[in-house]
Amino acid sequence: MSLAGDLTTHVVGFCRRLRARDLPVGPKEAADALRALAAVDVSNRRECYLALRTVLTSRYEDLAVFDDVFREFWNPPAPQPTGADQPEPDLPALASDGQTPSLLSWLDEALQSQGEESIPAYSPVELLTQKDFSTFTGNELDEVSRLVVAIARRVATRLSRRVRAVRRGHALDLRRTIRHSLRRGGEIVELAYRKRRIQKTRVVLLADVSGSMDLYSRFLIQFIFALQHALGQVETLVFSTTLTRVTEALSESDLRAALDQVARTVPDWSGGTKIGQSLRAFLTRYGGLLLTPRTVVIVISDGWDTGDIDVLDDAMRELHARAGRVIWLNPLLGSPGYEPICQGMRVALPYVDVFASAHNLESLRQLERHLALRRR
Amino acid sequence: MHPEIARIQSMLDGQGYVADEALATSVYLAIQLRKPLLIEGGAGVGKTEVAKVMAAALETDLIRLQCYEGLDATTSLYEWNYQRQLLHIRMMEHSDLPLEVKEREIFSEPFLLRRPLLQAITHHRAPVLLIDECDRADEEWEAFLLEVLSDWQVTIPEIGTIKAQHVPYVVLTSNRTRELGDALRRRCLYLWIDYPTFEKELAIVRRKVPGVNGQLAGQIAAFMQFVRRAKLEKTPGLAETLDWSAALIALHRDHLDREAVEQTLGALFKHRDDANLMRAQWLDHLLRGVDEIGREAAPWSQETISRVAERVLPKS
Repeated sequence: MSLAGDLTTHVVGFCRRLRARDLPVGPKEAADALRALAAVDVSNRRECYLALRTVLTSRYEDLAVFDDVFREFWNPPAPQPTGADQPEPDLPALASDGQTPSLLSWLDEALQSQGEESIPAYSPVELLTQKDFSTFTGNELDEVSRLVVAIARRVATRLSRRVRAVRRGHALDLRRTIRHSLRRGGEIVELAYRKRRIQKTRVVLLADVSGSMDLYSRFLIQFIFALQHALGQVETLVFSTTLTRVTEALSESDLRAALDQVARTVPDWSGGTKIGQSLRAFLTRYGGLLLTPRTVVIVISDGWDTGDIDVLDDAMRELHARAGRVIWLNPLLGSPGYEPICQGMRVALPYVDVFASAHNLESLRQLERHLALRRR
Repeated sequence: MHPEIARIQSMLDGQGYVADEALATSVYLAIQLRKPLLIEGGAGVGKTEVAKVMAAALETDLIRLQCYEGLDATTSLYEWNYQRQLLHIRMMEHSDLPLEVKEREIFSEPFLLRRPLLQAITHHRAPVLLIDECDRADEEWEAFLLEVLSDWQVTIPEIGTIKAQHVPYVVLTSNRTRELGDALRRRCLYLWIDYPTFEKELAIVRRKVPGVNGQLAGQIAAFMQFVRRAKLEKTPGLAETLDWSAALIALHRDHLDREAVEQTLGALFKHRDDANLMRAQWLDHLLRGVDEIGREAAPWSQETISRVAERVLPKS
């Protein structure tokens, strides 16, 4: 392998390491890193460090992680030669434009762990859509996962189309007013108004991952993951006895890595449930940031609360007041004969705008209808 | 050091900006890779200055766009000059030109008001475009900006598509009042400017404050390092250091004492709560810190400051 190729391999490896630590580093960033290294003196360690940091970090929180990985990666335990003896070679070839495209495609392959999978047309789909999540067998799971993702994408597309709708605004459109006036020799007779875009709906998902929800949470997380990827403006938090924000963890573009990440960040996956406390924690910590009249809050839970019921009542009232719309998805609602009689659910129900099931694929598909923002 | 980075550093230096290597490297790469540079850091650490100095160093013009909530395309990109259009329509009132011609005339370049983004795109040479405090603009505008930053072309329905002749050098600054989107971040190079170290702040005070003596400069720099260890609404940055120094000089102070500090507290703390907290709980400790540092062997360093701070300052 050529010397330049060697450095390229190292940089790609370094980028991958950063990515594993959640820095948003993709092929484009890696290509920039190589261009940056080509522009500085690669025998100067400090300069390389600064150049890579400038290119590969994008927020303050990244800096400490970057330093960590940099130290680990470029400081092998063996003693490093210093000064002029640095092994990093010069890279005259990298800067030339001719090489960039092939380099990029190579990086693309090297970095992309897996591409987007297409959803094949599949005939037993209809059967699957009606089936309760908890009754799937092992070999159906992959297929279902794929369908969940497909549905989430569709819901997201519809949703983003809908939020672009206009409403009559009050801003004067001078441009059109003037244009009209031309016909009357400059006399302004009618005023034209500018239609204003409604701002995008923000979706906040609060998913119950306690023991009683375990059967469903696996699919719902996939759904949330796909929705978040397609929609962008989704904040995801999971709770059981405590609340954890997993938006970042789920923003990993590879689902498996994302799930691992979630499992690592959530301290009590499949523990008991304290819905009230969790919602209260959400309101205190994230309410100011996330809740506006344009926010749709989706709670996914079966309502089995082992905590204080008054706390739940209180938190739900506030949630209802501060959010644009509160949707409660309860997987149990799908089972025949279910009545929301468990105490937690009964207390929460008056503050819920939409109460729907989330037990099978069909119900996820229905979700799109509920996400429109207007309250009643 | 790469000769170009050294050149930029000395150029920044020549413009009166004390730049460390990290800053010079980032500016250099922004120029080399032609990517926007996103600068974050506390208020008053000199983020905006970077763009100004960069323009001077490149000997090009600076075009500044100050962001605020509600900033939209008509105030950042272009708008038609309606008054002028109306006037023109009146003047054409009795001409026999067909309507289409009249219309084409008033929607032509002379009636176009170029806002900063359009100015930057149509500039005769690559300017430095400073998009200041972009965290203040809302998310919609951010998406719009992203579009401009990736295409460098603008479509005006009445005129057509205008493509940038020279892609501007872009500097964005943010105070992190709102998290900027990932898409925008990923398009940019990133530089975090921390509050200055003691050494850097001392160098800046010496350089930028005319008439300051060595003792006062040292005390000011030390005092600022101490102050930043408090939990404040708004931690004073370099801009405040310089204001405060100027205030002290104006009052003919040549060293720090209680009276001098109390008289000039307003230049340092812009928040009522901060000023109160300082006066009530911190001032004694700060002054003691200044006293003690005076007993340390010169020259003082960041390390001296930390040691003294550990000893005398309240733990926050």
